Amino acid sequence: MNLILLIAVISVAQIDYSKFSHATKKHQAECKTCHVVPTKQWTTVSKFPDIVDYPNHAACVSCHRPQFFKGARPPICSVCHTKTGPRDEARYAFRNPSARLQFTIEFPHDKHQDVIARLFRPRERVELAHAPPQQQNYNNCTICHGPFVISSDMHGAMANSMKAVPTNHGSCFNCHWKSQQPVATNCNGCHKLAAPYEHAELPARISMKFAHEGGGDKKNHLLECTACHINITKSTTLRGLKPDVPITACTECHNKDGLRQDVSKELASIDKNRVFVCVYCHDSKVGGLDPPASHYLIAERPPLKRRDIK
Amino acid sequence: MRLAITLAVLLLLVFPVTSGFTQTPTGVLRIRVRVKADDSAPLRGLARKRFYLMPGTLDQNRALIQSIDRQPIITRDCYYRKLGTSQALIDWLKTGDCESVYCRDVELESVTGPKAVPEFATAFAASQKEFGSDETALKWVTTNLDPNVRDGFYRDRQNVISTLLKQSAAPVLSVMTDRNGTAYFTDLGPGTFVLTNVVPTELGPTAVYWNCEVQVKQGDLATEKPYLVSNRKDRLVKCVGVEKPLPACE
Repeated sequence: MNLILLIAVISVAQIDYSKFSHATKKHQAECKTCHVVPTKQWTTVSKFPDIVDYPNHAACVSCHRPQFFKGARPPICSVCHTKTGPRDEARYAFRNPSARLQFTIEFPHDKHQDVIARLFRPRERVELAHAPPQQQNYNNCTICHGPFVISSDMHGAMANSMKAVPTNHGSCFNCHWKSQQPVATNCNGCHKLAAPYEHAELPARISMKFAHEGGGDKKNHLLECTACHINITKSTTLRGLKPDVPITACTECHNKDGLRQDVSKELASIDKNRVFVCVYCHDSKVGGLDPPASHYLIAERPPLKRRDIK
Repeated sequence: MRLAITLAVLLLLVFPVTSGFTQTPTGVLRIRVRVKADDSAPLRGLARKRFYLMPGTLDQNRALIQSIDRQPIITRDCYYRKLGTSQALIDWLKTGDCESVYCRDVELESVTGPKAVPEFATAFAASQKEFGSDETALKWVTTNLDPNVRDGFYRDRQNVISTLLKQSAAPVLSVMTDRNGTAYFTDLGPGTFVLTNVVPTELGPTAVYWNCEVQVKQGDLATEKPYLVSNRKDRLVKCVGVEKPLPACE
């Protein structure tokens, strides 16, 4: 009995109240227990009704009264407040951009593709997936995936090479605010509790040199998204769809007899120098790896490992 | 406990965790759907339509295909007419061949003025009151629509599809055609499949059903097998649809 008490005391003593985790069992009540949808003063910071601030003190005090009144600078305050102390109300931006993410997003691309897709529009509004902003008024991938602004030091990625992903509820609540499930109050419909992870500044990308707006003078890359992202409308379940692009989507132009031989040329360069870095499509991080079998298949050659090249 | 941990480590060493990609060669079926609304119309790609690929032969999927054939045809127009919606809404949906109101932007002229769709105008007024801004009210106008008006027809078809596909013994793949009528079924192993659209596609005055057998052979793996689908016979067309006249609305 004494041992159990001792363990309990040690456990309590070890809790770091400056860190809030949704994984804590007692923090797994219904979301609305703490988060009010929408935040009362949303109009002051948002164009649309949203959850724009931390829960009220009452959400924490009901269980954490002892921690709230512990010393002059209670660590628990630092979960939300920039300065700990009873007289300072300043809070971090919501959600705190430096905190690790605790939820992943579940988004069924196939279902959304179904409902937003439509037939042809007049030619002047043709569904170019990566068209300039003034042409992006049709309902398609660009509703959520606009241009992604990248800084110059991002692994050699080219300007306009990527598409952005939604970073707030703006592209969700316009349909899912109420009545269309998962609605705004049903956070769990999209947000799934996960092991904490760092926010990735860049989307995972193998071919960092690819530019969505590129393709030479003729802008050959300006196609409908699904022309290359061929798996995005595929579904066996609503989970696990990835925007992966098979190499054949590139090599229709980039490795074709009489056109270009970009893949074959770089594979030939590896034959001559096994530490050659493939830079036409890749950054140095990826370009130094063994080319995958799919690349050799396109070049109609058997796959090789760099270590086997003399 | 120690034994269990040792066993788990050994298992991980013997069967390393992979990224989920299978190492066995798989094939790709590239379908291209080209249709004619009538004999005088040119062939065009059938855009934005979902197709399904069921493992097995036509014979093995006979019961399911018979169920598909027996389904009553409910057109979008008839669904909305029965619901009592305005002609303006029916026309608005028809303009974009939309199954729900989500398929295109609701523009200002559809909520106010002479071209306004009554259902949108009512929802817009409610949204103005709720959100306090015309911009948000327009962008969020669907949040104040009656659910059946909003996407009832789409949900109805989805219910039919999911009920029918439950009859399939094996998982069914599905993809949607792009604006040229092309779509890809990837990661296919060798075998026989049935390509189907499950619910009929409205094409002018007819509804088209496609139920065709496709074979992916060992030699098709690691390649892209082209497969032409149409509602008109041609030497290149591998799958010709069956057309039925659209029923009159009750």
